[in-house]
Order: sequence, then structure tokens, then C-alpha cells
Amino acid sequence: MEGRPADRTDAELVARCRAGDGEAWNALVERFSRYVYAICVQGFRLQAHDAEDAFQDVFAKVYEQLGRLRDDDAFRPWLAQLTRRVCIDRLRAGRREAATVEDDLADSDDVLATLDEALTVRDGLAQLPGDCREILDRFFARDESYRSISDDLGLPPGTIASRISRCLEKLKAVLEDFAPAARPVGR
Amino acid sequence: MSRDLDTIARLLGALPPPPEGWVEAAQELPRVRQALDSLLEQAEADAELRARLIADLEGALTEVGIAPTPRVVELVRRRLS
Repeated sequence: MEGRPADRTDAELVARCRAGDGEAWNALVERFSRYVYAICVQGFRLQAHDAEDAFQDVFAKVYEQLGRLRDDDAFRPWLAQLTRRVCIDRLRAGRREAATVEDDLADSDDVLATLDEALTVRDGLAQLPGDCREILDRFFARDESYRSISDDLGLPPGTIASRISRCLEKLKAVLEDFAPAARPVGR
Repeated sequence: MSRDLDTIARLLGALPPPPEGWVEAAQELPRVRQALDSLLEQAEADAELRARLIADLEGALTEVGIAPTPRVVELVRRRLS
């Protein structure tokens, strides 16, 4: 189990967190922060203040309840379920009418399925060289412009466009024979 | 599962980073919890400290190096009551 915390599998990180390893905790939060955030704001459409409270509640519960997780390899579904419960509780706390909460939940399952798939794509992204990871993350996930990326990286905008295209092709190839459960994920 | 490039691009965009500071706050959680546990343990044995915590919770937290965020203040109030 040597190496950087970010290179460890979910199960290895969970085991280390349970043993009180602070670096493993930081890596676990980093790895799943986008997923939890996306469930809060896209899956359950929480407003910024509620989303922040829910996000912190989720990680507080992870910290408190990690000892109850029976199978460390099942961390992801456990986290998704925990996040779902926290978001539903928050929605219910803020609404008088149960029906309006049910309306919000109606299409959350589809969004959560998409987010699970997005997490798998990020697993694939983590397998790419650093320059591809950075450029794809900046452009697609952080919504930065060609201009902003080219200014920061000191490359012409045309080069940015071709590099994005090349890196996307590489990611596609990685995903085609990808077994996410066996690999460290989600940076 | 085979995905086309548009789908991969869309899925990359589905997981933007949380706003500034959220991740760091969650990463601080174990340290804050340990500091709070220690403070509250002391307060159980020290009536003066307990009185100070009740009178000026935010000030007392700051003194021991814990940022008195609304979430932390609420947690301590719950545990003191």
C-alpha cells in the first residue's frame, strides 16, 4: 500500500482513513468532492447555501460512520446513498408540502445515473498524462476558454483546440477497455 | 461501454469542482473534531471553562485555534446543552 494517497484504490483509502491517516482523508475528500457536489446541485437542485450545508454534512457523516461500512469496495454506492439521504432531508426541512419534495425527486434517479457515469469517465481521465488531464478538466469541467487556458499554459489557442481533441481521443481509448473498480479513481 | 466523443465531453462537464473553500473545510473536519473533543472534555472537568464557553463561545473557540464557523458553533452548542 505504498505510494501517494491519490494513487490508492477507494478501498485502500477508506481503510487508511479508518486508521486515522489524515492524508488519506484529504485524498478521499478530494476524490469524491465533485461527485457529492454534483448530486447536491444537479440531482436535488439544492440552492447554494443548502448545497454547502449538505456537502459538509455528507463528509461529516462519512467521517463519523466510516466504521460502519462493511465492504470497503462498496464505498461509492454507500456515499451516493448517504448523499441522497442528506439531500432529501434538507429538501424536506425546507418545504411545507411533501408533494413539492416528491416533484424534485422525480427525475433525480436519471441525474444520479449520469453522475455515476461521469465519475467513471473521471476514473479514465486519471489514467491520462498530466497535461491531458489538466487541459480536459480546465476546458470541460471548469469551463475555461481557449484564451484563458492558452494564456496560462503559454500556448497558442489553436494548439489548445488540437490538444483538447487529441486528449479526448486518448480518453475515449482508455474508457473502451477500462475496469474502474480495479483502479484508483476520480482525481 | 463505448461512448462517443460528445458524450465523453458532456460527462466531463457534469462534474465541475465545488466552490472555493468547500473541499478544504471538509478536509479540516478530523482536526476540528479532535480539537473540539479535547476542548469539551476539558470543559466537563473545568466549570470555569464551561461557563466561558457558554458566555462567549465564538471567542473561546478562536482562542484554542478553532474557526467559529456557524456549523462548528452549532455543533458545540448542541454538545454543551
